[in-house]
Amino acid sequence: MLGFIIQRLLQALLVMLAMSALVFVGVYAIGNPIDVIISPDATQDIRAQAIARYGLDKPLWEQYFIFIGNLLRGDLGRSFVFGMPVVQLIMSRLPATLELTLVAVIGATLIGVPLGIYAGYRPESPAAKAIMTASILGFSVPTFWIGLLLILTFAVWGGMLPAGGRGDTVSVFGVEWSVLTLNGWKHLLLPAFNLALFKFAMMVRLSRAGTRELMLTDTVKFARAAGLSDATILRRHVLKLISIPIVTVFGLEFGSTLAFAVVTETIFSWPGVGKLIIDSINSLDRPVMVAYLVLVAALFVTINVAVDLVYALLDPRLRPGERS
Amino acid sequence: MHHVLTRTLAAAVLSTTILAGASGVLAQTLTVGTRAGPESIDPHFTASGTHAEALKHVFDTLVWSGDKLQLEPRLAESWKPLNDTTWEFKLRKGVKFHDGSDFTAEDVKFSIERIPTVSGPNPTTIYVRRVKETKIVDPHTLHIVTDGPAPNLPNDFIRLFIVSSKAAAGLTKDNANEAFNTGKAAIGTGPYKFVSWTPKEQLVLDRFDGYWGGAQPWQKVVRKELPNDAARVAQLRAGQVDMIVRAPAADVPTLERDNTLAIVKGDTVYVFYAEFDMREKPPQITAKDGSALPANPFRDQRVRDAVDLAIDKAALAEVAMEGLGKPASQLVTPGIFGYNDKIPVTKPDLNKAKELLAAAGFKDGFKVTFSFTNDRLPGDRAVGTAIAQMLARIGIEVVANAQPGAVLFPARTRGDLSFVMSGWGTLTGEANYTLSSLMHSNAPNLKLGAFNWRGYLNPEMDKMLQAAAVEMDEAKRRKLLEDANELSIKDKPLIPLAAVSSAWALRKDKVKMVRTRSDEDSLAMDVVPAK
Repeated sequence: MLGFIIQRLLQALLVMLAMSALVFVGVYAIGNPIDVIISPDATQDIRAQAIARYGLDKPLWEQYFIFIGNLLRGDLGRSFVFGMPVVQLIMSRLPATLELTLVAVIGATLIGVPLGIYAGYRPESPAAKAIMTASILGFSVPTFWIGLLLILTFAVWGGMLPAGGRGDTVSVFGVEWSVLTLNGWKHLLLPAFNLALFKFAMMVRLSRAGTRELMLTDTVKFARAAGLSDATILRRHVLKLISIPIVTVFGLEFGSTLAFAVVTETIFSWPGVGKLIIDSINSLDRPVMVAYLVLVAALFVTINVAVDLVYALLDPRLRPGERS
Repeated sequence: MHHVLTRTLAAAVLSTTILAGASGVLAQTLTVGTRAGPESIDPHFTASGTHAEALKHVFDTLVWSGDKLQLEPRLAESWKPLNDTTWEFKLRKGVKFHDGSDFTAEDVKFSIERIPTVSGPNPTTIYVRRVKETKIVDPHTLHIVTDGPAPNLPNDFIRLFIVSSKAAAGLTKDNANEAFNTGKAAIGTGPYKFVSWTPKEQLVLDRFDGYWGGAQPWQKVVRKELPNDAARVAQLRAGQVDMIVRAPAADVPTLERDNTLAIVKGDTVYVFYAEFDMREKPPQITAKDGSALPANPFRDQRVRDAVDLAIDKAALAEVAMEGLGKPASQLVTPGIFGYNDKIPVTKPDLNKAKELLAAAGFKDGFKVTFSFTNDRLPGDRAVGTAIAQMLARIGIEVVANAQPGAVLFPARTRGDLSFVMSGWGTLTGEANYTLSSLMHSNAPNLKLGAFNWRGYLNPEMDKMLQAAAVEMDEAKRRKLLEDANELSIKDKPLIPLAAVSSAWALRKDKVKMVRTRSDEDSLAMDVVPAK
């Protein structure tokens, strides 16, 4: 088990290294960040001084090695635009994205999986057909459009929910959370729903397909023969056996939503990291871009390791100790 | 004594008014939906416009630029040149910082001198680049020695923010932002005190009752950053913000129909202009079949005139900009020092344009890539695509290339582009700021022509602009700048297209806007409670 984790960590390091190099080359190819940030009336020597001060006149490989050197000392650098340490900037916004993503992904799973199992268990019933239609909508209608409609209906016309922004927060262990206040939930509801739609559709389809397949297997036939009720079969056998693909998708979706919830965050003015990264791209704020993508790579690797560990819990065949 | 009494009376009257109406208490908070906020609380960190706009609430500048960018006294009550290289500034007396300490010449000297040591990647050193030495004559008099004749020094100082020499003492690049962002050093003389700031989220301010200009009507001001147009409009309509800046042109008619809202429109100093590559080997101009041309057509005055005649500026303003624009005759807008009111707006004339093109040997036109921004100013994408269509009418094949500013500006600096449209705002209020960057030949040794990438050079133009930069006599300087504007239109290395107007939308029952500013700054000081 330990060897497995070490191997995963080494892979993670390689991915992060490649990621930072790609971003460096990419931003270098677009141009000098100073050209975007600096005022139009800056004289050429002021411009040259600024470029020199941030080391942007050095060759690309030298800038990259300086960055890697600082990284090894635990310093991800300072944002060009805000002049504050990048880690502080990202961490100040991560809780907002984290709670939005958690509510969306967990909500989508808790609602989507039971509905999907039902749709697989009674595929011909009208309810199952309605569920499947809803999931097609969730897949095919673009997020930004649904988001705008939600705002229009519930905030502008209905006036019952806010049109955007984050609600009141409560500080727990120095981190601000809005899921602990009623006002926070009011602000969270629409963006979380918006973000959850696609995941909901995916969860429904996955669990339906898994259930349909399992209902025809010998396991279910024997369980029925043994006199178990359908409810027990679904809960004890089917749910457990369809869990592995669901956990995989849950992990991947959680990671990608956390990293790239940008459309929803923009429409709902949610102060999360997605918005931060788009703004950083627009102003070529390279330190923020690199640090963020490196952190995202780390996050994905962590989630994948966690998913692998959960596999082992769910499926006895995958437990290393019990293989022989 | 008399003064104190008046203040107390005023305060008493104000508090009774507040107590009188229960709704009055609610109206004490102003929430504004802005496009962008400060990038730090240290006013000297960066030279961006939105940064200065937000921090004008907390810190005062030495010289103030009024709603039409005219110079007005602020912390300096008056100023005059003593000789070619010395300006005298008389400071306002009785001004208090938020911590109760007195404002003196020491704070001004400190603020000027700390700028080079704390400025970030967009350095605010541009505001003090002419200053060689700051001499304190007495606590309320300063002599500023410049590195040469600097007639525009007061214009430079409209963004010279004054911080407290005690609160910000000893800060360096590594700790200045932290000290200001936590509020420790964020001590100014402005009408509002700093409360809190979250980057890209919101800035919260509280009224400063000891403000020298009299206390403000709002107890609390919240400036929310809502860069997305649709999000800004939605929050206004849902009542989460009291007013928004830059209401999108496409939404203005809908917002005008909503009887709970009011729309206020104002002219700005931003002008769209299209510039020609006049270098001998342009990278993006070819014959229509893609083969190389014998010479760069844009070097021919007749071709530049033809392009100008093919563009219908009135249509750009009315259609492409959906009414939020005005045809422009020159690079600066009316009211700017050096604006020449004798220059007419070119009237479109397609037949004459075709004749000129034929006379220049391009009867069948040519092919050019037209690059323009799509994320910097309202309507930039629409104006750019409209121009591409207009030029097709005289046979020039235009490849429209809309790009984010983050891609376009570095490419333009590298000289990769041959026909570019972007916007420029004469933010200092005088034309030399614009002309010396865009019209002077590119001369790094003179620090002039930094944005003239296109190879335009007219010795007469260079002479006029250099003379205007050192001319201390106001009337003579105005004449020089007016003549330079005229020459720029005659030579036409670029075409001024349209001036951008801006729209603010506000909740009628809560706020009233008393003035709009042509630099688009939306200040709480320009907004009052509706009741």
